[in-house]
Amino acid sequence: MLYTVVFTFIVCFAFVFLLSLTNEATRPKVEFNQEVARQQAILSALGVSFSTPQEVEQKYKNVETVKKGNMTLYTTTANGERVYAHQFSGQGLWGTITGVLGVNSDATKTVGLEIISHSETPGLGGRIDEAWFKKQFDGETIKNGTIQFTSGGSGDTNYQDGQVDGITGASRTTDSMRTIINREISNLQAALGGNA
Amino acid sequence: MSDTATAKNPGDVFRRNLWTNNPIFMQVLGICSALAVTNLLTNTLIMTIGVVFVTGMSSLTVSILKSLMPRKVRMIVQTLIIAFYVIIVDLVLKAYLPTVSKSLGPYVGLIITNCIIMGRAEAFAQSNGPILSFWDGITSGMGYMGVLLAIAFVRELLGFGALFGYHVMPAGFVPWIIMVMPPSAFFILGVVIWIGKAILNKQGELA
Repeated sequence: MLYTVVFTFIVCFAFVFLLSLTNEATRPKVEFNQEVARQQAILSALGVSFSTPQEVEQKYKNVETVKKGNMTLYTTTANGERVYAHQFSGQGLWGTITGVLGVNSDATKTVGLEIISHSETPGLGGRIDEAWFKKQFDGETIKNGTIQFTSGGSGDTNYQDGQVDGITGASRTTDSMRTIINREISNLQAALGGNA
Repeated sequence: MSDTATAKNPGDVFRRNLWTNNPIFMQVLGICSALAVTNLLTNTLIMTIGVVFVTGMSSLTVSILKSLMPRKVRMIVQTLIIAFYVIIVDLVLKAYLPTVSKSLGPYVGLIITNCIIMGRAEAFAQSNGPILSFWDGITSGMGYMGVLLAIAFVRELLGFGALFGYHVMPAGFVPWIIMVMPPSAFFILGVVIWIGKAILNKQGELA
């Protein structure tokens, strides 16, 4: 009986100790990766292009944070234009979708969308993280304060019509994205004072 | 499974785990992950490599500790050992392959619940030496890997028109949505079990 208790204790102690060591050893790397991923997301939502981690670090230096109303926005000048981005999170079909949406200075146009994390079905709702879906927000005009999500399709390339394609086979995720993006747009318009 | 317990040489262990007593189509273990992570070959490959590593290492560890382990707590200790290796895999992926770790999401953590790992620890490592147990774990993982990759091959090809993310189907190809969803894995798995058993039956390996 005593042996069982002692054995269990020692085994638990030994393995948990080794795990803590590994955790400590990999932590700086993991945190660095998360930080780079976050900076990358903000930069691409702001429409800033980059190719290497060094470039990310360097270009991120030009990004400032400002408080507008009760939102903390990231801002920088990209392609000679003042742009703002805000990190959002909202309820997807299976879990929380976190991302960054970028808009121009009066929030009449989106400049970029980036997804940081989601738990949608891989290959269906998970396609919100694919380039064709996000690219639709690179300069999409916001009409009457909203962006329409049309069903299906493989990427809407008309940036004037205030419409993007939803995802075939993932209506619920598309619905969630519609709610999240349009809520985000109305918050951003309120904060930046745009009224399109 | 008495069949497996009596396999004492490495060649026999290899043949049994990969073929005549394959964890998926003979023992029907590890089915949950066979349904969940088989719609993309890249994810399947990385997760199954994780499983091979964890099965091998946990069988080795269980076998080393078996004479010290009180019978009453052996299951708890086995779970602890398995969880230990799974968390190591998870941390290494997070640190060195962040994008893969992101796309696998919770599935790496769920390796802990893969029945094959505990099955091997209980059925083989408890009664065999460390080296042979390690080999048994590795080959069981490989048997699992082979079947999952075969399922993922069909699912990614028909569901996305791609293999390892590269488009291979002609331009006019319409992806089969069902192949992306878990139910398709049920159908393909059923077919795999059918084919596997039919061949084994012909070879007279089925009792």
